[in-house]
Amino acid sequence: MKRLHAVALLAIGLLLGSPVPAMAQKTSIDVAVAPTELSVVLGDRFTIETRLTNTDNAATGPLLAHLNVASLDNSVYVDPEDWSSERSQDVELEPGEAVTLSWELQAVNPGQIAVYVVVLPYGADAAANQQLVVSRLARVDVARRSTLTAGGVLPVVLIVPAVLAFAAIAARLRLRWRR
Amino acid sequence: MASLTVEAVELSKRFGEREAVRQVSFVAASGDVVGLLGPNGAGKTTLIRLLTTVLRPSGGTFQVAGLPATAAAEIRRRVGVLPESAGYPGHQTGEEYLRYFARLYGRSRAAARVVADGLLAEVGLSERSGTPISSYSRGMRQRLGIARALVNDPTVVFLDEPTLGLDPTGRSQVLDLVGTISRRRGATVLLSTHTLPDVERACSRVLILDRGRLVVSGGIDEIIAAARVERLSDAFLAMTREGSV
Amino acid sequence: MSRNRRTAAGWLVVAGQECRDLWLSGRGPLLLFVFSALLSTMTYVTSINKVLNFLEQREAVNLVLQVAVAVGALLSMVVAADGISGERERGTLESLLLTPVSGRAIVAGKAAAAVSLWLAAYLVSVPYLLVLSRGVGIAGPAAMAGVVVGTVVAGALTAIALLISSLSNSNKVSLAASIFLLLVLFAPAQLPSGRPQGWFFGVLRQLDPISSGLAYLSAVLVTGHRWTQDVSYLVSPVAITVLAGGALGLAGPRLVRLAAGGNGR
Repeated sequence: MKRLHAVALLAIGLLLGSPVPAMAQKTSIDVAVAPTELSVVLGDRFTIETRLTNTDNAATGPLLAHLNVASLDNSVYVDPEDWSSERSQDVELEPGEAVTLSWELQAVNPGQIAVYVVVLPYGADAAANQQLVVSRLARVDVARRSTLTAGGVLPVVLIVPAVLAFAAIAARLRLRWRR
Repeated sequence: MASLTVEAVELSKRFGEREAVRQVSFVAASGDVVGLLGPNGAGKTTLIRLLTTVLRPSGGTFQVAGLPATAAAEIRRRVGVLPESAGYPGHQTGEEYLRYFARLYGRSRAAARVVADGLLAEVGLSERSGTPISSYSRGMRQRLGIARALVNDPTVVFLDEPTLGLDPTGRSQVLDLVGTISRRRGATVLLSTHTLPDVERACSRVLILDRGRLVVSGGIDEIIAAARVERLSDAFLAMTREGSV
Repeated sequence: MSRNRRTAAGWLVVAGQECRDLWLSGRGPLLLFVFSALLSTMTYVTSINKVLNFLEQREAVNLVLQVAVAVGALLSMVVAADGISGERERGTLESLLLTPVSGRAIVAGKAAAAVSLWLAAYLVSVPYLLVLSRGVGIAGPAAMAGVVVGTVVAGALTAIALLISSLSNSNKVSLAASIFLLLVLFAPAQLPSGRPQGWFFGVLRQLDPISSGLAYLSAVLVTGHRWTQDVSYLVSPVAITVLAGGALGLAGPRLVRLAAGGNGR
């Protein structure tokens, strides 16, 4: 009994400790992400790489790797489409094969942002209720640049029309004086 | 002997079926003031437009200021024209207007200013040089138009109905200017009008047009004698009703 | 002096006087004032938006530039539509035709004056572009793309309007025809999604010089495309400028005459 418990505990530990759970009923894929921590400034473009490894002895079949972006701060709304326009890549891995996928992103929102990749079976034959494979979180800290403020634009917003109004009035007066 | 400055040989202009000018031939010399008389629709304005290259003739040839019809741009450099229904940019002053045209004839900015000031003085508009043309009376606009016609110191000046719509004082001022142009500048003046007293006062020779044809040309006395009447107006009426003499 | 030098001087004199009439009579500054009031409103509203993200700020810069290009080019077109037909209506064309300045030079001078409205609108928009670009780093590309695209689009609209004006005896007809032609070119670009595909419909959609120019601006400033990636959008405004401008240049003496149609000089 104790041995059974130990084996069960070991199995659970292995499962929890391993980087990625296997895709149930199908094959095992490791998804590693790099870098896992990144600091950028608003507007910067950067690259995240994910390495997919087929650890099983069968081919994976068609797979779709999909990039997601989420804010770790409730007050900031993040639209993943704004961060990257190429968010899906399809792969197919032979037994033991590994491939590195690159994801180009642009930091569009300030704050703490989570970037991760989900791998799912692809195509019409993909069965329902399959466990998906998710990478570890890549945390991106995006610092603000000096940004737009109402006070900052007021000089332009007021002075330009004022100067042009003055010019228009001066032109009209010039016409009137000539009479 | 004065040189010929205008020579038209069987000049014609057709607009579709209508013949506006029919084989008109005449000459004018430097210093001449030639009256171009005729009823409405006689072809006076069309003839002027042909000679000033605004319109192309359908037939015939002409020379103006010693230049053939093919040298249109050069002819325009040597002639000055007051069109019949000339418009003026109301917001420009008289001075700006003349300066602009002086520059179009190739004068520098400084020279254009001198020319404009001189012409405004010549036509009696110096005091109004700085006011917009929209404030000018009709007579003042006609004088401004004559000034513009003189901006390039022309050899031949064409004035199309310069006294149209003017009161007697205005007419007199314009006709005085016409005399000045020919005497002081030695230019040939073609004065198109249907006002006979203007012709009698200002012109040394007359061309009478009717329905596009030249019915008679010559000195005023010659024409009166040839028509066997006592006045130019009688000769005019006779010729434009009953054909040529 | 050679004929070509006279011609060059002639168009400059015409352009100079047209610009004086436009800018010193009060019409030009008044139009610019109204335009700047619009830009000020757009800029202020953008600046008080607390949740504006990086892309939306870029889109705001792009929008200001698009408004500048569209308004500036349209103003140039309206002025150009008056170019020849307006002189005919006011009775001032004959005096101009009686000078040694060629029809080509007259048209060139009027085109230059009309395009000055676009250039002035662009200069007015530059301070707004600079403040809106703070933090998103596209002030330089926006300024450069704006002047290139705007000049090409304004050139196209000015050439079309001058051509139509030279063929019209009335200003109303000239302006109405210019705007109508623009709407005809504009319509295919507004076909809904699910629209017909193929090269023919692609060409039809890109016919409108304004829509094409603005689409190019968006591609460069918002989507981040390279300058050469979407250069096909500029084919329409460039082609229209060349065709209409070429027609004016070649047929200038025939087009600039006392009355549109009928016998000319």
